[in-house]
Amino acid sequence: MSLIEIKGLIKTYDRRGQEPVEALTGVDLTIEEGEIFGVIGLSGAGKSTLIRCLNLLEVPSGGSVVVDGRDLSTLSRSELLHFRRGMGMIFQSFNLLSSRTVSANVAFPLEVAGLAKSEIRRKVGELLELVGLSDKADAYPAQLSGGQKQRIGIARALANNPKILLCDEATSSLDPQTTSSILRLIEDLKKRLGLTVVLITHEMKVITEICDRVAVMESGRIIEVGRVMDVFMSPKHPTTQSFVEVERSSKEASFCQDFQPQGKLVKVYFVGESVAEPLVYTLVKRYGVVLNILQANIDNMNGTPFGAMIFDLSGAPEDVEKSLQYMRESGHKAEVIKC
Amino acid sequence: MLMTANQLALLKISAWQSFYMVLVSTVLTAVMGIPLGVLVVVARPGHILANKLLYRVLGFVINATRSIPFPIFIVFVIPLTRFLVGQAIGSTAVIVPLTLAAVVFMARLTETALLEVPFGVIEAAQAVGATRWQIIWKVLLPEACPAMLMSVTITIITLISYSAMAGAVGGGGLGDFAIRYGYQRYQTVVMWVTVIMLVIIVQGVQITGDYLVRRFTRR
Repeated sequence: MSLIEIKGLIKTYDRRGQEPVEALTGVDLTIEEGEIFGVIGLSGAGKSTLIRCLNLLEVPSGGSVVVDGRDLSTLSRSELLHFRRGMGMIFQSFNLLSSRTVSANVAFPLEVAGLAKSEIRRKVGELLELVGLSDKADAYPAQLSGGQKQRIGIARALANNPKILLCDEATSSLDPQTTSSILRLIEDLKKRLGLTVVLITHEMKVITEICDRVAVMESGRIIEVGRVMDVFMSPKHPTTQSFVEVERSSKEASFCQDFQPQGKLVKVYFVGESVAEPLVYTLVKRYGVVLNILQANIDNMNGTPFGAMIFDLSGAPEDVEKSLQYMRESGHKAEVIKC
Repeated sequence: MLMTANQLALLKISAWQSFYMVLVSTVLTAVMGIPLGVLVVVARPGHILANKLLYRVLGFVINATRSIPFPIFIVFVIPLTRFLVGQAIGSTAVIVPLTLAAVVFMARLTETALLEVPFGVIEAAQAVGATRWQIIWKVLLPEACPAMLMSVTITIITLISYSAMAGAVGGGGLGDFAIRYGYQRYQTVVMWVTVIMLVIIVQGVQITGDYLVRRFTRR
Protein backbone atom coordinates (compact mmCIF):
# COMPACT_ATOMS: atom_id res chain seq x y z
CA MET A 1 0.00 0.00 0.00
CA SER A 2 1.13 3.52 -0.73
CA LEU A 3 2.15 5.81 2.10
CA ILE A 4 -0.23 8.57 1.05
CA GLU A 5 -3.44 7.88 -0.86
CA ILE A 6 -5.61 10.75 -1.94
CA LYS A 7 -8.98 9.98 -3.49
CA GLY A 8 -11.50 12.40 -4.96
CA LEU A 9 -10.22 15.25 -2.80
CA ILE A 10 -12.38 18.36 -2.93
CA LYS A 11 -11.92 21.65 -1.14
CA THR A 12 -14.35 24.50 -1.50
CA TYR A 13 -14.10 27.83 0.26
CA ASP A 14 -17.39 29.53 1.00
CA ARG A 15 -17.33 33.24 0.65
CA ARG A 16 -20.17 35.31 1.97
CA GLY A 17 -22.23 36.83 -0.81
CA GLN A 18 -20.00 35.43 -3.55
CA GLU A 19 -19.57 32.27 -5.54
CA PRO A 20 -17.69 29.64 -3.51
CA VAL A 21 -14.08 29.09 -4.59
CA GLU A 22 -13.26 25.57 -5.70
CA ALA A 23 -9.61 25.13 -4.73
CA LEU A 24 -9.53 21.38 -5.31
CA THR A 25 -11.99 19.76 -7.70
CA GLY A 26 -11.34 16.05 -7.27
CA VAL A 27 -7.71 15.10 -6.81
CA ASP A 28 -6.54 11.49 -6.96
CA LEU A 29 -2.93 10.82 -6.10
CA THR A 30 -0.78 8.18 -4.50
CA ILE A 31 2.62 8.86 -3.03
CA GLU A 32 4.97 5.99 -2.30
CA GLU A 33 7.15 5.58 0.75
CA GLY A 34 10.66 6.92 0.30
CA GLU A 35 10.09 9.04 -2.77
CA ILE A 36 10.43 12.75 -3.29
CA PHE A 37 7.16 13.74 -4.84
CA GLY A 38 6.79 17.16 -6.41
CA VAL A 39 3.63 19.06 -7.22
CA ILE A 40 4.06 21.91 -9.67
CA GLY A 41 1.56 24.50 -10.73
CA LEU A 42 1.03 28.20 -11.15
CA SER A 43 -0.22 30.18 -8.19
CA GLY A 44 -3.90 29.53 -7.64
CA ALA A 45 -3.67 26.02 -9.07
CA GLY A 46 -4.54 24.53 -5.68
CA LYS A 47 -1.19 22.98 -4.80
CA SER A 48 -0.92 24.82 -1.50
CA THR A 49 -4.40 23.69 -0.50
CA LEU A 50 -3.47 20.15 -1.51
CA ILE A 51 -0.36 19.97 0.68
CA ARG A 52 -2.28 21.52 3.59
CA CYS A 53 -4.89 18.79 3.34
CA LEU A 54 -2.16 16.25 4.09
CA ASN A 55 -1.84 17.41 7.70
CA LEU A 56 -5.31 18.91 7.95
CA LEU A 57 -4.20 22.51 8.19
CA GLU A 58 -7.03 22.63 5.66
CA VAL A 59 -10.00 20.38 6.26
CA PRO A 60 -11.15 18.80 2.97
CA SER A 61 -14.72 19.38 1.83
CA GLY A 62 -14.90 15.92 0.29
CA GLY A 63 -12.92 12.85 -0.68
CA SER A 64 -10.39 11.05 1.45
CA VAL A 65 -6.77 11.33 2.48
CA VAL A 66 -5.21 8.16 3.84
CA VAL A 67 -1.74 8.47 5.32
CA ASP A 68 0.10 5.40 6.49
CA GLY A 69 -3.15 3.45 6.49
CA ARG A 70 -5.12 6.00 8.51
CA ASP A 71 -8.02 7.93 7.07
CA LEU A 72 -7.46 11.47 8.32
CA SER A 73 -11.17 12.23 8.50
CA THR A 74 -11.56 9.61 11.23
CA LEU A 75 -8.97 11.17 13.56
CA SER A 76 -10.20 12.74 16.78
CA ARG A 77 -8.72 16.07 17.79
CA SER A 78 -6.10 14.54 20.09
CA GLU A 79 -5.27 11.85 17.53
CA LEU A 80 -4.78 14.60 14.96
CA LEU A 81 -2.30 16.43 17.19
CA HIS A 82 -0.40 13.21 17.66
CA PHE A 83 -0.55 12.42 13.94
CA ARG A 84 0.85 15.85 13.05
CA ARG A 85 3.92 15.15 15.18
CA GLY A 86 4.76 12.37 12.74
CA MET A 87 4.83 14.83 9.89
CA GLY A 88 7.21 17.76 9.44
CA MET A 89 6.43 20.86 7.44
CA ILE A 90 8.53 23.72 6.13
CA PHE A 91 7.25 26.95 4.65
CA GLN A 92 8.06 29.61 2.09
CA SER A 93 8.22 32.30 4.77
CA PHE A 94 10.02 29.98 7.24
CA ASN A 95 7.55 30.88 10.04
CA LEU A 96 10.12 30.81 12.83
CA LEU A 97 9.28 32.27 16.22
CA SER A 98 11.01 35.65 16.28
CA SER A 99 11.00 35.80 20.08
CA ARG A 100 12.92 32.53 20.42
CA THR A 101 16.56 31.75 19.75
CA VAL A 102 17.48 29.24 17.07
CA SER A 103 17.80 26.40 19.57
CA ALA A 104 14.53 27.36 21.29
CA ASN A 105 12.83 27.31 17.90
CA VAL A 106 14.07 23.80 17.23
CA ALA A 107 13.04 22.85 20.78
CA PHE A 108 9.46 24.00 20.18
CA PRO A 109 8.04 20.76 18.70
CA LEU A 110 9.83 18.78 21.40
CA GLU A 111 8.27 20.92 24.14
CA VAL A 112 4.92 20.46 22.46
CA ALA A 113 5.44 16.70 22.50
CA GLY A 114 6.25 16.90 26.22
CA LEU A 115 9.88 15.72 26.24
CA ALA A 116 12.08 16.18 29.30
CA LYS A 117 14.37 19.23 29.35
CA SER A 118 17.60 17.23 29.20
CA GLU A 119 16.26 15.15 26.32
CA ILE A 120 15.25 18.32 24.47
CA ARG A 121 18.72 19.82 24.89
CA ARG A 122 20.36 16.69 23.52
CA LYS A 123 18.02 16.44 20.52
CA VAL A 124 18.33 20.14 19.66
CA GLY A 125 22.11 19.74 19.57
CA GLU A 126 21.79 16.80 17.19
CA LEU A 127 19.31 18.56 14.93
CA LEU A 128 21.40 21.72 14.64
CA GLU A 129 24.35 19.57 13.70
CA LEU A 130 22.22 17.79 11.11
CA VAL A 131 21.49 21.07 9.32
CA GLY A 132 24.98 22.45 9.92
CA LEU A 133 24.09 25.40 12.13
CA SER A 134 25.39 24.43 15.56
CA ASP A 135 27.24 27.74 15.78
CA LYS A 136 23.98 29.71 15.49
CA ALA A 137 22.27 28.07 18.47
CA ASP A 138 21.95 31.30 20.44
CA ALA A 139 21.17 33.63 17.54
CA TYR A 140 17.69 35.00 16.89
CA PRO A 141 15.99 34.37 13.52
CA ALA A 142 16.31 38.06 12.61
CA GLN A 143 20.09 37.61 12.59
CA LEU A 144 20.01 34.78 10.04
CA SER A 145 20.00 34.72 6.23
CA GLY A 146 17.07 33.19 4.34
CA GLY A 147 18.92 29.94 3.72
CA GLN A 148 19.89 29.67 7.39
CA LYS A 149 16.30 30.33 8.44
CA GLN A 150 15.10 27.51 6.19
CA ARG A 151 17.73 25.17 7.65
CA ILE A 152 16.32 25.96 11.09
CA GLY A 153 12.85 25.36 9.68
CA ILE A 154 14.04 21.95 8.50
CA ALA A 155 15.60 21.14 11.88
CA ARG A 156 12.32 22.08 13.56
CA ALA A 157 10.30 20.01 11.10
CA LEU A 158 12.45 16.95 11.76
CA ALA A 159 12.51 17.29 15.54
CA ASN A 160 9.94 14.61 16.28
CA ASN A 161 11.42 12.09 13.80
CA PRO A 162 8.67 12.38 11.21
CA LYS A 163 8.26 9.88 8.36
CA ILE A 164 7.01 12.54 6.02
CA LEU A 165 8.33 16.02 5.24
CA LEU A 166 5.98 18.51 3.60
CA CYS A 167 7.62 21.43 1.79
CA ASP A 168 5.29 24.31 1.03
CA GLU A 169 7.18 26.42 -1.56
CA ALA A 170 10.16 25.99 0.75
CA THR A 171 12.69 27.49 -1.65
CA SER A 172 10.53 30.05 -3.42
CA SER A 173 11.86 33.00 -1.45
CA LEU A 174 15.51 31.95 -1.77
CA ASP A 175 18.07 32.83 -4.44
CA PRO A 176 19.05 30.08 -6.93
CA GLN A 177 22.28 29.13 -5.13
CA THR A 178 20.63 28.89 -1.72
CA THR A 179 17.75 26.99 -3.32
CA SER A 180 20.18 24.37 -4.58
CA SER A 181 21.87 24.00 -1.22
CA ILE A 182 18.54 23.61 0.58
CA LEU A 183 17.41 21.04 -2.01
CA ARG A 184 20.63 19.11 -1.57
CA LEU A 185 20.11 19.15 2.19
CA ILE A 186 16.56 17.83 1.80
CA GLU A 187 17.77 15.10 -0.56
CA ASP A 188 20.57 14.15 1.80
CA LEU A 189 18.29 14.05 4.84
CA LYS A 190 15.74 12.03 2.89
CA LYS A 191 18.38 9.37 2.24
CA ARG A 192 19.81 9.39 5.74
CA LEU A 193 16.52 9.41 7.63
CA GLY A 194 14.40 7.45 5.18
CA LEU A 195 11.94 10.29 4.72
CA THR A 196 9.16 10.62 2.21
CA VAL A 197 9.09 14.17 0.88
CA VAL A 198 6.12 15.96 -0.65
CA LEU A 199 6.96 19.35 -2.05
CA ILE A 200 5.05 21.96 -3.95
CA THR A 201 6.67 24.55 -6.14
CA HIS A 202 6.14 26.71 -9.19
CA GLU A 203 9.72 26.17 -10.40
CA MET A 204 10.50 23.28 -12.76
CA LYS A 205 14.10 23.53 -11.61
CA VAL A 206 13.15 22.31 -8.13
CA ILE A 207 11.29 19.37 -9.65
CA THR A 208 14.14 18.33 -11.95
CA GLU A 209 16.75 18.75 -9.25
CA ILE A 210 15.40 16.40 -6.61
CA CYS A 211 12.02 14.89 -7.39
CA ASP A 212 11.41 11.28 -8.37
CA ARG A 213 7.86 11.84 -9.54
CA VAL A 214 5.87 14.92 -10.35
CA ALA A 215 2.24 15.94 -10.58
CA VAL A 216 1.23 19.01 -12.55
CA MET A 217 -1.76 20.92 -11.20
CA GLU A 218 -4.10 23.35 -12.85
CA SER A 219 -7.45 24.75 -11.71
CA GLY A 220 -7.73 22.46 -8.71
CA ARG A 221 -6.99 19.20 -10.50
CA ILE A 222 -4.01 17.14 -11.54
CA ILE A 223 -3.46 17.27 -15.28
CA GLU A 224 -0.37 15.12 -15.57
CA VAL A 225 1.57 12.83 -13.28
CA GLY A 226 4.55 10.55 -13.77
CA ARG A 227 8.28 10.08 -13.37
CA VAL A 228 10.09 13.39 -13.65
CA MET A 229 12.25 12.23 -16.56
CA ASP A 230 9.21 11.02 -18.53
CA VAL A 231 7.19 14.15 -17.92
CA PHE A 232 10.18 16.31 -18.72
CA MET A 233 11.05 14.46 -21.93
CA SER A 234 7.53 14.20 -23.30
CA PRO A 235 5.13 16.56 -21.58
CA LYS A 236 1.58 15.93 -22.78
CA HIS A 237 -0.48 18.78 -21.41
CA PRO A 238 0.14 22.32 -22.75
CA THR A 239 0.67 23.67 -19.22
CA THR A 240 3.29 21.02 -18.54
CA GLN A 241 4.93 21.82 -21.86
CA SER A 242 5.21 25.45 -20.91
CA PHE A 243 6.78 24.58 -17.54
CA VAL A 244 9.26 22.29 -19.28
CA GLU A 245 9.97 24.81 -22.00
CA VAL A 246 10.80 27.53 -19.50
CA GLU A 247 13.21 25.20 -17.79
CA ARG A 248 14.83 23.79 -20.93
CA SER A 249 16.05 27.15 -22.01
CA SER A 250 14.31 30.37 -22.66
CA LYS A 251 17.30 31.70 -24.58
CA GLU A 252 17.38 28.92 -27.12
CA ALA A 253 13.94 29.67 -28.58
CA SER A 254 14.68 33.25 -29.54
CA PHE A 255 18.15 32.37 -30.74
CA CYS A 256 16.92 29.66 -33.09
CA GLN A 257 14.22 31.87 -34.50
CA ASP A 258 16.74 34.26 -36.03
CA PHE A 259 19.19 31.63 -37.19
CA GLN A 260 19.25 30.60 -40.86
CA PRO A 261 20.59 27.04 -41.03
CA GLN A 262 22.69 25.71 -43.91
CA GLY A 263 20.91 22.39 -43.67
CA LYS A 264 18.54 21.34 -40.91
CA LEU A 265 18.48 22.73 -37.42
CA VAL A 266 18.33 19.67 -35.18
CA LYS A 267 17.88 19.33 -31.46
CA VAL A 268 18.99 16.14 -29.76
CA TYR A 269 18.39 15.16 -26.18
CA PHE A 270 20.81 13.02 -24.24
CA VAL A 271 19.59 11.05 -21.27
CA GLY A 272 21.55 8.74 -19.02
CA GLU A 273 24.06 6.55 -20.82
CA SER A 274 23.67 8.17 -24.23
CA VAL A 275 25.54 11.16 -22.78
CA ALA A 276 28.74 9.13 -22.95
CA GLU A 277 28.30 8.25 -26.62
CA PRO A 278 30.35 10.17 -29.24
CA LEU A 279 27.34 11.04 -31.39
CA VAL A 280 28.92 13.87 -33.37
CA TYR A 281 31.95 11.80 -34.26
CA THR A 282 29.78 8.88 -35.37
CA LEU A 283 27.62 11.03 -37.63
CA VAL A 284 30.52 12.80 -39.28
CA LYS A 285 32.54 9.66 -39.74
CA ARG A 286 29.74 7.40 -40.88
CA TYR A 287 27.60 9.69 -43.04
CA GLY A 288 30.01 12.44 -44.00
CA VAL A 289 27.65 15.19 -42.86
CA VAL A 290 28.73 18.59 -41.51
CA LEU A 291 27.72 19.46 -37.99
CA ASN A 292 27.82 23.01 -36.77
CA ILE A 293 27.14 22.90 -33.05
CA LEU A 294 25.22 25.95 -31.90
CA GLN A 295 24.40 25.05 -28.34
CA ALA A 296 25.09 22.14 -26.04
CA ASN A 297 24.74 21.46 -22.37
CA ILE A 298 24.73 18.60 -19.92
CA ASP A 299 22.81 18.89 -16.70
CA ASN A 300 22.01 16.64 -13.84
CA MET A 301 18.39 15.73 -13.34
CA ASN A 302 17.94 14.06 -9.98
CA GLY A 303 21.08 11.97 -10.42
CA THR A 304 20.64 11.19 -14.11
CA PRO A 305 22.79 13.08 -16.63
CA PHE A 306 20.62 14.97 -19.01
CA GLY A 307 21.56 17.20 -21.91
CA ALA A 308 20.52 18.79 -25.13
CA MET A 309 22.44 19.87 -28.21
CA ILE A 310 21.35 22.00 -31.12
CA PHE A 311 23.28 21.82 -34.35
CA ASP A 312 23.02 22.78 -37.97
CA LEU A 313 23.12 19.50 -39.89
CA SER A 314 24.11 19.85 -43.53
CA GLY A 315 25.37 17.66 -46.35
CA ALA A 316 23.82 15.54 -49.07
CA PRO A 317 20.06 15.21 -48.40
CA GLU A 318 20.20 11.42 -48.16
CA ASP A 319 23.11 11.61 -45.71
CA VAL A 320 21.19 14.07 -43.57
CA GLU A 321 18.20 11.75 -43.68
CA LYS A 322 20.35 8.75 -42.73
CA SER A 323 21.87 10.71 -39.86
CA LEU A 324 18.44 11.53 -38.49
CA GLN A 325 17.41 7.93 -38.80
CA TYR A 326 20.53 6.79 -37.01
CA MET A 327 19.81 9.09 -34.12
CA ARG A 328 16.24 7.83 -33.80
CA GLU A 329 17.30 4.21 -34.00
CA SER A 330 20.07 4.60 -31.48
CA GLY A 331 17.60 5.92 -28.92
CA HIS A 332 18.30 9.65 -29.08
CA LYS A 333 15.32 11.87 -29.07
CA ALA A 334 16.03 14.11 -32.05
CA GLU A 335 13.78 16.69 -33.60
CA VAL A 336 14.19 19.02 -36.54
CA ILE A 337 13.46 22.52 -35.33
CA LYS A 338 13.95 24.28 -38.63
CA CYS A 339 14.81 23.44 -42.21
CA MET B 1 8.18 77.16 50.96
CA LEU B 2 6.05 76.98 47.87
CA MET B 3 3.23 75.11 49.60
CA THR B 4 1.81 75.16 53.11
CA ALA B 5 2.21 72.17 55.40
CA ASN B 6 -1.50 71.52 54.99
CA GLN B 7 -1.28 71.54 51.21
CA LEU B 8 1.75 69.25 51.32
CA ALA B 9 -0.07 66.77 53.54
CA LEU B 10 -3.05 66.80 51.16
CA LEU B 11 -0.75 66.39 48.20
CA LYS B 12 0.82 63.35 49.82
CA ILE B 13 -2.57 61.77 50.51
CA SER B 14 -3.78 62.55 46.97
CA ALA B 15 -0.65 61.11 45.39
CA TRP B 16 -1.07 57.97 47.43
CA GLN B 17 -4.73 57.67 46.43
CA SER B 18 -3.79 58.05 42.75
CA PHE B 19 -1.04 55.49 43.08
CA TYR B 20 -3.39 53.06 44.82
CA MET B 21 -6.20 53.43 42.29
CA VAL B 22 -3.91 53.15 39.25
CA LEU B 23 -1.86 50.26 40.61
CA VAL B 24 -4.79 48.07 41.64
CA SER B 25 -6.77 48.77 38.49
CA THR B 26 -3.71 48.17 36.27
CA VAL B 27 -3.19 44.75 37.81
CA LEU B 28 -6.87 43.86 37.54
CA THR B 29 -7.03 45.23 33.99
CA ALA B 30 -4.06 43.18 32.85
CA VAL B 31 -5.45 40.06 34.49
CA MET B 32 -8.81 40.44 32.75
CA GLY B 33 -8.07 42.55 29.68
CA ILE B 34 -5.32 40.39 28.19
CA PRO B 35 -7.32 37.13 28.36
CA LEU B 36 -10.34 38.95 26.93
CA GLY B 37 -8.18 40.25 24.07
CA VAL B 38 -6.80 36.76 23.46
CA LEU B 39 -10.33 35.37 23.39
CA VAL B 40 -11.44 37.97 20.83
CA VAL B 41 -8.51 37.03 18.59
CA VAL B 42 -8.80 33.25 18.76
CA ALA B 43 -12.59 33.39 18.32
CA ARG B 44 -12.17 35.24 15.02
CA PRO B 45 -13.36 33.41 11.92
CA GLY B 46 -10.53 31.20 10.66
CA HIS B 47 -8.51 31.41 13.88
CA ILE B 48 -7.70 28.60 16.27
CA LEU B 49 -10.97 28.75 18.24
CA ALA B 50 -13.22 30.24 15.57
CA ASN B 51 -16.67 30.94 17.00
CA LYS B 52 -18.85 33.43 15.19
CA LEU B 53 -21.34 33.94 18.02
CA LEU B 54 -18.70 34.43 20.73
CA TYR B 55 -16.75 36.77 18.45
CA ARG B 56 -19.81 38.91 17.74
CA VAL B 57 -20.97 39.04 21.37
CA LEU B 58 -17.53 40.01 22.67
CA GLY B 59 -17.13 42.64 19.96
CA PHE B 60 -20.51 44.13 20.83
CA VAL B 61 -19.86 44.23 24.60
CA ILE B 62 -16.44 45.84 24.10
CA ASN B 63 -17.74 48.45 21.68
CA ALA B 64 -20.76 49.24 23.85
CA THR B 65 -18.61 49.71 26.95
CA ARG B 66 -16.14 51.86 25.09
CA SER B 67 -18.89 54.15 23.75
CA ILE B 68 -19.79 55.46 27.22
CA PRO B 69 -17.77 58.54 28.30
CA PHE B 70 -15.89 57.77 31.50
CA PRO B 71 -17.57 60.29 33.87
CA ILE B 72 -20.96 58.86 32.84
CA PHE B 73 -19.61 55.33 33.09
CA ILE B 74 -18.58 55.89 36.73
CA VAL B 75 -22.13 56.81 37.65
CA PHE B 76 -23.68 54.18 35.38
CA VAL B 77 -21.91 51.28 37.12
CA ILE B 78 -22.65 52.49 40.67
CA PRO B 79 -25.06 49.58 41.37
CA LEU B 80 -22.34 47.11 40.40
CA THR B 81 -19.75 49.02 42.42
CA ARG B 82 -21.99 48.92 45.47
CA PHE B 83 -22.47 45.19 44.98
CA LEU B 84 -18.74 44.47 44.64
CA VAL B 85 -17.20 46.94 47.10
CA GLY B 86 -20.10 47.57 49.44
CA GLN B 87 -20.12 51.32 48.81
CA ALA B 88 -20.17 53.63 45.82
CA ILE B 89 -17.75 56.30 46.99
CA GLY B 90 -14.04 56.38 47.84
CA SER B 91 -10.82 55.32 46.15
CA THR B 92 -11.57 51.60 46.33
CA ALA B 93 -15.01 52.08 44.82
CA VAL B 94 -13.53 53.98 41.86
CA ILE B 95 -11.36 50.97 41.04
CA VAL B 96 -14.48 49.19 39.72
CA PRO B 97 -15.35 51.62 36.88
CA LEU B 98 -11.64 52.29 36.24
CA THR B 99 -10.96 48.59 35.77
CA LEU B 100 -14.05 47.87 33.68
CA ALA B 101 -13.38 50.74 31.30
CA ALA B 102 -9.70 49.85 31.01
CA VAL B 103 -10.35 46.11 30.52
CA VAL B 104 -12.22 46.65 27.25
CA PHE B 105 -9.61 49.20 26.15
CA MET B 106 -6.83 46.77 26.96
CA ALA B 107 -8.71 43.97 25.17
CA ARG B 108 -8.78 45.98 21.93
CA LEU B 109 -5.09 46.85 22.25
CA THR B 110 -4.27 43.19 22.93
CA GLU B 111 -6.30 42.16 19.91
CA THR B 112 -4.31 44.53 17.69
CA ALA B 113 -1.02 43.30 19.15
CA LEU B 114 -1.88 39.61 18.67
CA LEU B 115 -3.15 40.09 15.14
CA GLU B 116 0.29 41.30 14.18
CA VAL B 117 1.69 37.82 14.76
CA PRO B 118 1.85 36.33 11.23
CA PHE B 119 -0.67 33.52 10.86
CA GLY B 120 2.00 31.36 9.23
CA VAL B 121 3.79 31.15 12.57
CA ILE B 122 0.59 29.82 14.14
CA GLU B 123 0.21 27.33 11.28
CA ALA B 124 3.79 26.16 11.85
CA ALA B 125 2.88 25.47 15.47
CA GLN B 126 -0.29 23.64 14.41
CA ALA B 127 1.76 21.58 11.97
CA VAL B 128 3.93 20.18 14.77
CA GLY B 129 0.84 19.21 16.75
CA ALA B 130 0.63 22.08 19.24
CA THR B 131 -2.63 22.34 21.19
CA ARG B 132 -4.60 25.61 21.18
CA TRP B 133 -3.43 26.29 24.71
CA GLN B 134 0.20 25.78 23.67
CA ILE B 135 -0.29 28.07 20.69
CA ILE B 136 -1.61 30.84 22.95
CA TRP B 137 1.09 30.46 25.60
CA LYS B 138 4.10 29.51 23.52
CA VAL B 139 3.40 31.35 20.27
CA LEU B 140 0.84 34.16 20.39
CA LEU B 141 1.75 35.83 23.68
CA PRO B 142 5.58 35.57 23.45
CA GLU B 143 5.57 36.70 19.81
CA ALA B 144 3.36 39.66 20.64
CA CYS B 145 5.29 40.47 23.84
CA PRO B 146 6.80 43.81 22.70
CA ALA B 147 3.47 45.02 21.35
CA MET B 148 1.75 43.85 24.53
CA LEU B 149 4.18 45.82 26.67
CA MET B 150 3.34 48.85 24.60
CA SER B 151 -0.37 48.17 25.16
CA VAL B 152 0.12 47.94 28.93
CA THR B 153 2.03 51.23 28.89
CA ILE B 154 -0.78 52.97 27.01
CA THR B 155 -3.35 51.44 29.38
CA ILE B 156 -1.50 52.67 32.48
CA ILE B 157 -1.36 56.19 31.10
CA THR B 158 -5.05 56.03 30.23
CA LEU B 159 -5.78 54.85 33.78
CA ILE B 160 -3.80 57.78 35.21
CA SER B 161 -5.87 60.09 33.09
CA TYR B 162 -9.18 58.39 33.99
CA SER B 163 -8.29 58.41 37.69
CA ALA B 164 -8.33 62.22 37.59
CA MET B 165 -12.12 61.95 37.31
CA ALA B 166 -12.34 59.85 40.48
CA GLY B 167 -13.25 62.97 42.43
CA ALA B 168 -16.75 62.73 41.00
CA VAL B 169 -17.50 59.95 43.47
CA GLY B 170 -15.11 60.93 46.24
CA GLY B 171 -12.22 58.83 45.06
CA GLY B 172 -9.66 61.56 45.67
CA GLY B 173 -6.33 61.46 43.90
CA LEU B 174 -4.14 64.08 42.25
CA GLY B 175 -6.73 65.15 39.69
CA ASP B 176 -9.35 65.73 42.34
CA PHE B 177 -6.85 67.67 44.46
CA ALA B 178 -5.99 69.89 41.51
CA ILE B 179 -9.66 70.63 40.78
CA ARG B 180 -10.76 71.30 44.36
CA TYR B 181 -7.74 73.22 45.60
CA GLY B 182 -5.97 74.42 42.49
CA TYR B 183 -9.08 75.46 40.57
CA GLN B 184 -11.98 75.97 42.95
CA ARG B 185 -9.88 77.59 45.69
CA TYR B 186 -7.62 79.54 43.37
CA GLN B 187 -4.46 77.88 44.77
CA THR B 188 -2.49 78.19 41.54
CA VAL B 189 0.62 76.62 43.05
CA VAL B 190 -1.33 73.45 43.80
CA MET B 191 -2.50 73.32 40.19
CA TRP B 192 1.04 73.71 38.91
CA VAL B 193 2.54 71.18 41.28
CA THR B 194 -0.03 68.48 40.47
CA VAL B 195 0.20 69.08 36.76
CA ILE B 196 3.99 68.87 36.85
CA MET B 197 3.79 65.69 38.95
CA LEU B 198 1.39 64.09 36.47
CA VAL B 199 3.61 65.04 33.54
CA ILE B 200 6.64 63.51 35.26
CA ILE B 201 4.77 60.32 36.19
CA VAL B 202 3.39 59.82 32.67
CA GLN B 203 6.83 60.46 31.15
CA GLY B 204 8.34 57.95 33.57
CA VAL B 205 5.77 55.29 32.64
CA GLN B 206 6.29 55.88 28.92
CA ILE B 207 10.08 55.78 29.14
CA THR B 208 9.98 52.57 31.20
CA GLY B 209 7.54 51.06 28.74
CA ASP B 210 9.67 52.02 25.73
CA TYR B 211 12.74 50.55 27.39
CA LEU B 212 10.98 47.23 28.03
CA VAL B 213 9.65 47.12 24.47
CA ARG B 214 13.19 47.56 23.12
CA ARG B 215 14.51 45.01 25.55
CA PHE B 216 12.08 42.35 24.33
CA THR B 217 12.13 43.10 20.62
CA ARG B 218 13.99 40.44 18.64
CA ARG B 219 12.99 41.37 15.14
